[in-house]
Amino acid sequence: MFGYVRPFRPELKCRDFDLYRATYCGLCRCLRRRYGLIAPMLLNFDFTFLALLLWEPEDRFTPCRGRCHANPLRKLPMCPDSPALELAADESVVLAWWKLRDSVQDEGFWRGLPARVLSWLLRPACRKAARRCPEFDKTVRSCLAELAELEREECPSLDRPADAFARLLQSAAPREGTQGRVLSQLLYHLGRWIYLADARDDLEEDKLSSRYNPVAARYGRSGDDEALRLTMDYSLELMGAALQLGDFSCRTPLLENIVYLGLPLVERAVFDGTWKDIKKQKIWRNDT
Amino acid sequence: MRDPYSVLGVSQNASDDEVKKAYRELARKYHPDNYQNNPLADLAEEKMKEINEAYDTITKQRAGGYTGSSSGSYGGYQRSGYASGNPAYVRIRNLINAGDLNQAEQMLYEVGQKDGEWYFLSGSIAYRKGWMDEAMQNYTRAVQMDPNNMEYRQALAVMQRGSMGGYRPAGYTAGLDTMDCCTTMLCLNCLCGGGHC
Repeated sequence: MFGYVRPFRPELKCRDFDLYRATYCGLCRCLRRRYGLIAPMLLNFDFTFLALLLWEPEDRFTPCRGRCHANPLRKLPMCPDSPALELAADESVVLAWWKLRDSVQDEGFWRGLPARVLSWLLRPACRKAARRCPEFDKTVRSCLAELAELEREECPSLDRPADAFARLLQSAAPREGTQGRVLSQLLYHLGRWIYLADARDDLEEDKLSSRYNPVAARYGRSGDDEALRLTMDYSLELMGAALQLGDFSCRTPLLENIVYLGLPLVERAVFDGTWKDIKKQKIWRNDT
Repeated sequence: MRDPYSVLGVSQNASDDEVKKAYRELARKYHPDNYQNNPLADLAEEKMKEINEAYDTITKQRAGGYTGSSSGSYGGYQRSGYASGNPAYVRIRNLINAGDLNQAEQMLYEVGQKDGEWYFLSGSIAYRKGWMDEAMQNYTRAVQMDPNNMEYRQALAVMQRGSMGGYRPAGYTAGLDTMDCCTTMLCLNCLCGGGHC
């Protein structure tokens, strides 16, 4: 379910790329510091986007240097620790934990083994994270329970399960004030978009193993790409509209790149089936 | 009030044309058309008001204290009036506009008979919640039941427009749609992940 939210690199300015990279590395360091040596394994592009969104607006970005987790001999520019980054790290651990539990339950014994081992290793980290953001943990739990319930009863609506997941992501941002409203709208539609993209991506697989798939339940077994694309584009549209109302100062160009270019391209790849290859590549060619 | 120049994002000694251009870009960005029925519409309206005021102030200052009407600024956005027969529907519309969706939904369920307007309002509630697929279905039903109603047809047309309609900052407008499959592949390989910088 993770990894869909990424910038479109050819259109990034160098300084925005550096900012992205520094945020990615900073989040990695923050995870390591707060949750120990295994936690950086949870790092991905989606959580980086979350960190970028939650960051307090500042006019200029000044990175500090820190040691890379993957290669301690290298020193890389990283964004310094801040409350926003710590919040993003805590929420990442909570989300990743529930995602792992989900795959443990979905897969059989052998295929679920890696997830099982990882979730066993991460149990202490997750407990800590849940203590640090109890509200978020509670919302995630209840939304996932709701989602599981909808999946069990094979809900024919596309919007209802997507709504459960969208509310889950929405609760990642504080809701107070103008910025809070903007963020919660943005995250809601990001969650909706991710859920739908993931459902479309799993369509073939779910058809073979005759599992529930919201896209199949709504549009029939082979899906209806045209209609699904329209409704997903609409969520992207609303994310863009929300983004323009928020105050993200020096992070604006990067966020615009992700919302206006990165996400539509990923969507396109999910629809034409090339996403699977790209996703696989990503694991080995992850930012080093 | 904030400095009008910083509201428009231009320097004090920008030329009239630059001021106008900056104003136009911002007005395009926050135009009410981009935020129709959007739960954040009030924020966009505030922004719009702010930039209108800033532009008016600057033009007045530059005209040497002349206080004429500012012909250039975009006017406020007026919601067209509704002609609804059923008083319950009027109340539901008000609730939707006030953002009280739960109450509106409940009231709508209490209305027994489902006509075009019922589906339209149901669609509007779904829209405000972000349930775009159900909004689309309901708007479609509304148009089917009452094909001559401009309001329903407009709502449906906005939904069918998809991502073609809204605002994009300069540089994000064109290009991607014209790319063929092959280029898309190439580009996707560059989606942050590959290579070292």
